[in-house]
Amino acid sequence: MDKLLTLTLGGLTSGAVYAALGLSLVIIFRATRVVNFAQPALALISAYVAFSVNKATGGYWLGFAAALLTGALLGALTERLIMRRLADRGHLAPVIVTLGLLMVLQAVAGMIWSAEPRSFPYAFDFRGTFSPAAGFAVAVVLVVAAGVLVLFKATPLGLRMRAAAFRPDVAGLLGVRVGLMLTIGWTLAAAVGALAGLLAVPPFIYPTALDSVFVHALAAAVIGGLDNPVGTIAGGFALGVGLSFVSGYVGPELVTMAALAILVAVLVVRPHGLFGHAVARRV
Amino acid sequence: MLEIEDLVTTYGAVRALDELSMWTRDANLTAVLGANGAGKTTLLRTISGLQTPVSGRVRFDGVDITGLPADRIVRMGLAHVPENGGVITELTVEENLRLGGLWRRDKAARAAKLREVYDLFPPLAQRERAQASTLSGGERQMLAIGRALMSDPQMLLLDEPSLGLAPAITVRIMRILRDLRDRDGLTVLLVEQNARSALSVADRGYVLALGRVVAVEEADDLLADDRLRHAYLGF
Ligand SMILES: Nc1ncnc2c1ncn2[C@@H]1O[C@H](COP(=O)(O)OP(=O)(O)OP(=O)(O)O)[C@@H](O)[C@H]1O
Ligand SMILES: [Mg+2]
Repeated sequence: MDKLLTLTLGGLTSGAVYAALGLSLVIIFRATRVVNFAQPALALISAYVAFSVNKATGGYWLGFAAALLTGALLGALTERLIMRRLADRGHLAPVIVTLGLLMVLQAVAGMIWSAEPRSFPYAFDFRGTFSPAAGFAVAVVLVVAAGVLVLFKATPLGLRMRAAAFRPDVAGLLGVRVGLMLTIGWTLAAAVGALAGLLAVPPFIYPTALDSVFVHALAAAVIGGLDNPVGTIAGGFALGVGLSFVSGYVGPELVTMAALAILVAVLVVRPHGLFGHAVARRV
Repeated sequence: MLEIEDLVTTYGAVRALDELSMWTRDANLTAVLGANGAGKTTLLRTISGLQTPVSGRVRFDGVDITGLPADRIVRMGLAHVPENGGVITELTVEENLRLGGLWRRDKAARAAKLREVYDLFPPLAQRERAQASTLSGGERQMLAIGRALMSDPQMLLLDEPSLGLAPAITVRIMRILRDLRDRDGLTVLLVEQNARSALSVADRGYVLALGRVVAVEEADDLLADDRLRHAYLGF
């Protein structure tokens, strides 16, 4: 019983990270139908900025804020300088460009901060079953996810963003600045991604620190439905707990395989995710 | 209100608009008629900024709006109800409507306009919380027109609002357009293949073929012109 509880709580903690990073993928996918493979690199650089600010100031929260701002800025720049130019180039070009960006940014991070693992602090004490740091991770992700949902569903800005995503042509005719909505979407997504990075990185940061987390986040988003924020958040937590059980009861070496198996199983049974529905229309 | 001069819009080698010129009178309903592929949709899309012309000018209320983005043109008071209405089916009826006026600063005016639109189209008021995908064809067209009115436009462009609708609904929509003109002084540019219903409410009419104007007359004269009617309007 004790083991079950420990594994569940541990799973929820890592699940929070998958949920947040998955959510950042969903925000962009909803708006542009692009899976942003550069997301882990944007989050990585944001976390490295937090690392540098931490070292310079000695405090955690200034670095935390700096990372979120860096994420937001990187997201906005990526959309304005790169993605916008690919709008009419078909479906493959944006995917390849985000993959390229992933590799370039990881290399840049390695050049600036070196490839050596550096120690990276937790927000709070991380010792014990469901430590304050773990509680913080789960709580902050739930709050952010709720905020994003309220933004989309209940605010004028969210209505504009949804309209721009569903029917950019029509949205323009209704006075919506579609390009601005895309920039806001990327900004928001990359800030959420930076948050995920800050939660995922400790205790050590290095250029590939977020790679496996990203694979799990992508799996969470696919399980939940790539255009379904609620499903993805649920998928992230469920995957975190599921993989924690696999690791605890079967063996940690099987975690990655289990993640892939779950992913494939979901795709076979429900190609649009457990909670998703077909995205057939793209007029 | 609207003055168009030698407008040319192309799709690759196709000249969909071929030095087309036209103008409208204020508080008038101008019909644009013509067969499939005449260039009617392209004309409206070029006016409202969805398409950029190769050459020519579009002036609205004396201001050159050629090549401006769509979101700026609608803010100047020129609203476009696109082909098939362009209702966003993933949103509710009310979300669609609110979207139409969201760019206006004055909240009270937006709320008042929403009530006005519900009064104008009672079926929409009954279904305000429904997903727009559940609406009938007639209701969708009402939603599309109501949504355009939410921006409180001076001029309305409509692309075949009668397409696929039962005759009784078409009559109802034509009457509403006529009332908007007569009561609110709205200027209307109405694209229709259904020439008979369009001319029943129009003041003037243009006939297009292959991206050019082949006739322009007062609506009554167009209806009386047997040769033109047979050649281009099919009745
Ligand atoms: N996206 C496009 N790509 C290429 N050619 C197009 C495109 N849209 C329209 N055309 C061509 O431009 C011409 C004018 O088309 P348009 O849609 O403006 O006509 P229309 O009068 O609205 O026709 P309909 O009554 O069928 O709606 C046609 O020859 C059409 O084939
Ligand atoms: Mg047409």
